[in-house]
Amino acid sequence: MGNCLLCHKYPGLSRVDEAGRMKLMFVNEDIFNKSVHSKVKCEGCHTDITKIPHDPAKPVDCLTECHIVEPTSEQKFSHKEVEKFLNNSVHSKIDEKGRPKQFSEDMPSCKDCHDNPLFRPLAFVKKVRPGIAEDAMGRCRVCHKKEDFIFRFYNHITTRMHKSRSPLNIAQACGKCHDDPELVARHNLKTKAGYSYSETFHGKAANLLDESVPDCLDCHVVKGKSVHQMYGNDDPRSSTYPANRGNICNSVDCHPGASVKFANYKVHAEYSKEQSPVIYWFTTFFIILTGGTLLPLMGIMFLDLLRRLFPNATIMRRRK
Amino acid sequence: MKLKCFLTKLYIIAFMGLVVFFMVLIWNLTFAHLIHEYHSRKSGEEAQTHKGEKKKDKNTFEQIILKSEKRVKNYLGYRVLEQQYIEGHFHHIGLDIAPDRYSYCSSCHGDMPHDAVKDIRAFLNMHAFFVGCQTCHVKPSPEQATGIYKWYDRVTGEIVDSPVTGAHPGTYGAKIIPFVREDGVLVRIDSQDKIDFVNEYRKMERSLSEGQKSKAKKIIHKDISKKPIMCEECHRKDNPLLPLAALGYPKERIDSITSTEVVGMIKNYTKFYMPKMLHPGESKSSPAEDQTVQPTAPAESGEHAVE
Repeated sequence: MGNCLLCHKYPGLSRVDEAGRMKLMFVNEDIFNKSVHSKVKCEGCHTDITKIPHDPAKPVDCLTECHIVEPTSEQKFSHKEVEKFLNNSVHSKIDEKGRPKQFSEDMPSCKDCHDNPLFRPLAFVKKVRPGIAEDAMGRCRVCHKKEDFIFRFYNHITTRMHKSRSPLNIAQACGKCHDDPELVARHNLKTKAGYSYSETFHGKAANLLDESVPDCLDCHVVKGKSVHQMYGNDDPRSSTYPANRGNICNSVDCHPGASVKFANYKVHAEYSKEQSPVIYWFTTFFIILTGGTLLPLMGIMFLDLLRRLFPNATIMRRRK
Repeated sequence: MKLKCFLTKLYIIAFMGLVVFFMVLIWNLTFAHLIHEYHSRKSGEEAQTHKGEKKKDKNTFEQIILKSEKRVKNYLGYRVLEQQYIEGHFHHIGLDIAPDRYSYCSSCHGDMPHDAVKDIRAFLNMHAFFVGCQTCHVKPSPEQATGIYKWYDRVTGEIVDSPVTGAHPGTYGAKIIPFVREDGVLVRIDSQDKIDFVNEYRKMERSLSEGQKSKAKKIIHKDISKKPIMCEECHRKDNPLLPLAALGYPKERIDSITSTEVVGMIKNYTKFYMPKMLHPGESKSSPAEDQTVQPTAPAESGEHAVE
């Protein structure tokens, strides 16, 4: 990092490129050191940068083998497995026969869902420091002497022990595409998924930063699999395939004992005439009832107060 | 009695205000919501008509420009990291710098004004975050020059104490501006008269004739020197243009700014990337060509820059 930060520590290192996109070349060292990539050197990802001064950097290929060694296999680390998973998933750019799908450019690539992932060690709301277990760190220090190692290893493990992003952040990440009406229409999807999730009890709790509610991944990823192995609702491998749905809600952590039919309600019901007409008209009726009752009531109160303010006022001329 | 009557009326008026507030609230939650939903359904229907086909690129001002005003929040459990959203940006920014509302240059040229020399424009923009435009682009005459530079606040424009100590490099929220001598008096180079002139021009611009516009622009830019201050004039150990110590830079920062790494890098940039800008009209060769075919020509230009 040292050499690169000589320039890249400045937040103003920026330009507007030929296509009119803003390019910011600033790297915030403090935040970078709290990210999962903190041990990867700049040139581990930006492999085309070999000298200073350098030419404009090429886009990073996330599948590059970086210099980190994966400790169990002692192989160089790379994200290549993700590509295999993704190519076999509903988000793949190619179909089963290996041909590019229609509108394959709409399919997500790494940066559409991920920015540099930050350590999110076990911590509870209002704790102002990362992690809660100074005691645990103390145990680490008995055998391990390097503070940097202890910090990273502790954060790595504790980050992986729960959601690495809050349910709200997950829903927002998915919503980037799944709430775009053009994308939804172009790919014949039934719902604006992020929006309809936000209308549910789960979504509203997520919006209030509840960590215990299910987000998109809890239902759409088969337990124990990678989020990159996500399949369409019509794929028997999918957790949301009609025959598999029942097992999502009645898991031990959510609604144990719930019947398999429990999951067959309209999870992504929108306030939409086309998608859910019954819910739409029912909701509309109550909105009109509420407004139609309260607004005239407020109007009458206003007029009553007006009369109290001007007890003798009249528009008509008084008879003498 | 009169006081009681007055207080009762005041109470009634306050209550009426409250009733109106609730009416607006109820309207927004009920009928306004229905109307909003109706319109968004209409636009949704429009999207439905494009089922299976791709619409042309988005091109409204809001879609292209204002989207960069969007902000994202990362909820990390123990803290919330909020920052500006930049499409396709991987690294976290984590800090905000207030835009320069005071500089009358950036009111037209923007906060990222450098674009001409492709290979170093980001460097120049980086400096523009904490160095006022006039510091490099105006070379005061010997009678005007004072060698005095101060920091001004990017929002209020007021002269402030040095923000360097303790701040992350380049995140000062302030910029360096030169002071010049006019009629024997020490004044800021970006005097209020000049700012007023530019503001008036921007207000009137649409109603001015072409000739008037050209005249105004000439006057606004009359102090701008043809050749800007070059990197080496500050990034050198002996007698740098900016009095870094007086500007509040601690010794280690001055050593860093004038270090062999920085100065050496500038030399390399000067040699390989830069100074076609000093020879307008010449076609720009690629850096590779610079290195192999004509290694001496750009270096000469670099020397020109130091002269």
